[in-house]
Amino acid sequence: MIDKKMGAENTIIGDTIIIRGNVQGDEDLTIKGRVEGSITLTRDLFIENSGIVKADVNVQNIFISGVLVGNVAASQLVEISADGRMVGNISAPRVVIIDGASYRGRIEMGEAAEGARPVMRPRPVSRPGMRPFPPRPAPAPAAPKPATPPGAPPAKPASGGEAKPSEKPSGPGGPLLKPPEAKGPGVKPPEGKPSEGKPPTPGGPSVTIKKEEPKKP
Amino acid sequence: MPGKTIIGKTIVIEGEIEGAEDLVVQGTIKGNIVLKENLLVEPSGLVEADVQTQNVDVGGELKGDITATNKVEIRKEGKMIGDIRAPRILIADGALFKGSVDMERR
Repeated sequence: MIDKKMGAENTIIGDTIIIRGNVQGDEDLTIKGRVEGSITLTRDLFIENSGIVKADVNVQNIFISGVLVGNVAASQLVEISADGRMVGNISAPRVVIIDGASYRGRIEMGEAAEGARPVMRPRPVSRPGMRPFPPRPAPAPAAPKPATPPGAPPAKPASGGEAKPSEKPSGPGGPLLKPPEAKGPGVKPPEGKPSEGKPPTPGGPSVTIKKEEPKKP
Repeated sequence: MPGKTIIGKTIVIEGEIEGAEDLVVQGTIKGNIVLKENLLVEPSGLVEADVQTQNVDVGGELKGDITATNKVEIRKEGKMIGDIRAPRILIADGALFKGSVDMERR
């Protein structure tokens, strides 16, 4: 799981070793034992399953398979593996928490990214929300239309299917007023019958109305 | 046989170290070292600490008092400043040593 660079530049703190104090260095450090205090590295820190660290940590990358209690500031990556347990705050551009890991604390992935996200998100959301309502009532009827076809599948086979698209754009105003279909359905069927294109749509609503009536009582 | 811990060349530790395994120091340790096994200070190593171990092998620089249950050896490239208390003490030709020696036998 943990890839160690097999160089001479690698220090391993063994299982039985206990260090209380500050550890600094410019090489990878692997901890199988126990370290209490602080750790400052320009390279990577590996806390193996048997490792227990109670320290504030300042490193490039940190991989936690053991236990870490303390705050971590990493210049690149913090990874808590499935066996890892950590309590403390994390400050790093990349944070990975594997399924099974245990963690409690706050995570800070950089101020720049956080500031940009909240500002950008609300704007696009509010704009599209405002535009459609006043200028385009049409989208509203569009939604009910797709709903009706499923209600009137028997009507589909009729040739009127092709005619629908042409009629819809022409008569958006009509359907808009009628969208409360519950009121107008009774009127629609008579009107729709004369024209071939309309019948499919009224057929749908009429069916739905019948269903509604029994439900209400 | 317990493992071996190597403190690399660029590592600096300030504080206490305890353990039950061999400790090889290529970097710097300041503070206190208590081991049940052996301490080896390599030529690149610098230890400024009081040391309690079984055996000490000084090939680098050690400042502090040593109490060993078995043997202390200062190699020809080694520098040691401090008191030594151990049943067996070896100082190689060329080694630098300043301090007192106590070989009191148990």
